[in-house]
Amino acid sequence: MSGTSPGTAVIETRALSKVYRDFWGRQKVRALKALDLEVYQGEIFGLLGPNGSGKSTTIKLLLGLLFPTDGQALVFGKEATDVSKNERIGYLPEESYLYKFLNAEETLDFYGRLFDIPAEVRKERIEKLLKLVGIDRARKRQLREYSKGMTRRIGLAQALINDPELILLDEPTSGLDPIGTREMKDMILQLRDQGKTVVMCSHLLADVQDVCDRIAILHQGELKELGRVDSLLTVEDVTQVRARNLSDDCKNELRDVIQRHGGDLLEMDNPTTTLEDLFLSIVRDSEERPGRRVVGPQSTAGGDTPAPPATAN
Amino acid sequence: MVVENEVLPYLQWLWRGDGASFVDGKGALVQFAIIALTIFVLGLVGGFLVALVRQGPVRAGEITYRTLVGGFGDLFRLSFRRIAALASLAIKESLRRRVWVALVVFAMILLFASWYLGVNNREPARLYLSFVTAATSYLMLLLSLVLAAFSLPTDIKNKTLYTVTTKPVRSGDIVLGRILGFTVLGTALLAIMAAASWFFVNGALAHTHTVDTRSLEAIRGADGETIGKEGETSRDAFHTHPFSVDAEGYGFTDQVSEHSHALTADGDAIVVGPAEGYLRARVPLRGKISFLNPQGVPVAKGISVGNEWSYRSFIQGSTQAAAVWTFDGVNESTLMEYEDGSKYLPVAAIVRVYRSYKGIIEQAIQGSIQLRNPETGVKSTLRVFPAKDFAIDSFEFANEQTDTDQNDITILDDLVTEDGRIEVIIQCLDRGQYFGFAQADCFIRLPEGSPLWNFVKGFLSIWMQMVIVIAVAVMMSTFLSGPIAMVTAITFIVLGFFRTFFLQIALGESYGGGPVESLVRLVTQMNVMSPFERTPSVDAMKAIDGVLKGAMRAVSNVLPDFSTYLDRVRYVAEGFSIPTDAVLHDLTVSLAYVVGMAIVGYFCLRTREVAKS
Repeated sequence: MSGTSPGTAVIETRALSKVYRDFWGRQKVRALKALDLEVYQGEIFGLLGPNGSGKSTTIKLLLGLLFPTDGQALVFGKEATDVSKNERIGYLPEESYLYKFLNAEETLDFYGRLFDIPAEVRKERIEKLLKLVGIDRARKRQLREYSKGMTRRIGLAQALINDPELILLDEPTSGLDPIGTREMKDMILQLRDQGKTVVMCSHLLADVQDVCDRIAILHQGELKELGRVDSLLTVEDVTQVRARNLSDDCKNELRDVIQRHGGDLLEMDNPTTTLEDLFLSIVRDSEERPGRRVVGPQSTAGGDTPAPPATAN
Repeated sequence: MVVENEVLPYLQWLWRGDGASFVDGKGALVQFAIIALTIFVLGLVGGFLVALVRQGPVRAGEITYRTLVGGFGDLFRLSFRRIAALASLAIKESLRRRVWVALVVFAMILLFASWYLGVNNREPARLYLSFVTAATSYLMLLLSLVLAAFSLPTDIKNKTLYTVTTKPVRSGDIVLGRILGFTVLGTALLAIMAAASWFFVNGALAHTHTVDTRSLEAIRGADGETIGKEGETSRDAFHTHPFSVDAEGYGFTDQVSEHSHALTADGDAIVVGPAEGYLRARVPLRGKISFLNPQGVPVAKGISVGNEWSYRSFIQGSTQAAAVWTFDGVNESTLMEYEDGSKYLPVAAIVRVYRSYKGIIEQAIQGSIQLRNPETGVKSTLRVFPAKDFAIDSFEFANEQTDTDQNDITILDDLVTEDGRIEVIIQCLDRGQYFGFAQADCFIRLPEGSPLWNFVKGFLSIWMQMVIVIAVAVMMSTFLSGPIAMVTAITFIVLGFFRTFFLQIALGESYGGGPVESLVRLVTQMNVMSPFERTPSVDAMKAIDGVLKGAMRAVSNVLPDFSTYLDRVRYVAEGFSIPTDAVLHDLTVSLAYVVGMAIVGYFCLRTREVAKS
């Protein structure tokens, strides 16, 4: 189920459970039930589930913001409540809970000072991160003046201030526009490419599908599915062929071949692009050629969007 | 009137207190250790019991062990860098929340204060100093309370603490960072207020006079030649000063409203200088008081003139009744020097006059003061003085004296014993009138300290109160919501101001019984002295009171005694130097509170689930 990844386990949970109680100690809700999970070094791990499924609780337990009722949560082999593990962790909370009275520079400086980073390195890293997340120009503005998207960006920057090995992202794309979403996803992939481990939880399944190597699906506090995204999503008895510039004859020939071999042709059609791709291409086009965009039959396919390849199912 | 609580030498207070040795357990260090140990054990047992109910015995034991071991380990992993970062965050937060408005409020208070504070007061310096210290004190306590009580709960409510606790930050860093940040900010505000207060007091008291030339009269010597002039100053700031000057026109005015003016000659004119002596930092050498009854027999107390709880007790006039102070440690260095090199013993006394009949009201009651050797009984000649009711009167005894048999004696050789003791005896001379005294009413004046430094020490007392309030409020805020933390901290502080009374109730020394009994008496409008008839409900009431009193006694052990800090400020207002031992003592207590509260706050925050809503 999960032993395919080559890296060592960065996160381990063993029968991790969490029960929320009221003031008198009476059980209110069982948020997490005996979760067994391992996250390996260098992978992007997604936690999926509907509201109240226990994903945020899991993240908070891993961060030591909550204490387990039962079981164990280990991060880098240490108890999740051990503060020293935080040296190697970056965390982007759901709402970017930052101090609104600080500006971007002060925010990063403050969080940087909580780590044992020399002042010069800290300064360099602040410059780099401000550019990376694209809020270099707004560095002197107080966060109270920031849009939600900008707040997410500075939130990510503070999560990366210590150049962490493990990054926990709670709804990383929430509040971001499509460009921001794409950039965030690209950054997550870049982080993985740098050898970092990323754990993210999200409601946006497309985002998870786009970036995650492995996912866990939680429901009502229980682990329902765990595995590699590609293998989980593979439909075993369906074959997909994608090709470009096929003639009608070729398509007919393909139909015949499928029929001859006893297969059922489910679909042979021109695929549509995703709305995200369409939107991004329009914006890029607009940035390259400012001015009013001509909307006509010739541009409805999405400007200079590359023609979608033919898909045969 | 005069601040008289005895201040033990610092090391004695720390080590043995008023006990004979360390083992008596009355030293501050032992008391602190006992309280700290008690809180530690209670916290440990309480924490274990809560975990036991919720998690069962094995897990409870594990949690308790981990909290204990990890907790103490963490205490040694505190980082000044992180504390400083969190402190600067607290400062920025406060500044961006416009904490400086407090300074504007203070400035407004000072601006309008001069409308209401009359300079016609008999002790204007005391009035002004009391006012500025009280205004600063209450403003700073309120400000630091609000800042400290709401900061951490706001962070928890806004979840900004999530991004902090997920960094390598220990709970101790957070608690100490808050305490340090608010303390630094409060110190800056307090320093500004102190400077403004100093200039305000000096500015408000500053005045001068001119010489009323119509009142000038020549003073003639035995030969009829003019040896000086006497007269009165003009009436300014609601008073005039009688004065006399020498033949050259130099001298001093008489002291009125606790100040005088230097007089200098400018040609034929006499120029009155600025007011001097308003702000004092007297350093008293205190003695032990005893009384003689009208028959001259030593007694513990004098006569009560009606108020049985009176601070002072009284001696009857024109009898052998006397108040006798015995001073220790008098030697050559105790005596001061006149300009001509001769020495004198400066004694100050406050007399409370009680007239049993009106007499001539404009005429002061006469008293006598003399010095006596407690071993040989040799006395200096009687010195008669008009009693200035309730004001500090100064007496300078030249070293060369004559005894009651008119023999020449000196203070150092004949009136001071070999071990440095001397007695001051005061009697009332008018028949049927009385003088009242308390131990602190007579003292030998040692060289005075700097009024500015004393003023700084007074504000240091306010600063220490502020630090304790911040530490208490931050500690409360680690487990309570903002408003509840503030109310709890206010309760703690109010109880601290009335700690003595609180303790009296807890020990059953006050009239009216414990809390429940007092409530019953209030509701039923029953006199505090009337006993209850024994019934089962009265027994139950007393039993509940017994439990409550026990709890009150326990709480009183950790209550800061804010009345001590008020006393220190009174030193400044009354023109006495705050003893260094008292400052060290208060600083140690404040430090103990900061350390204690930080540790308790640390464990409260460490065992709290930050993300639990």
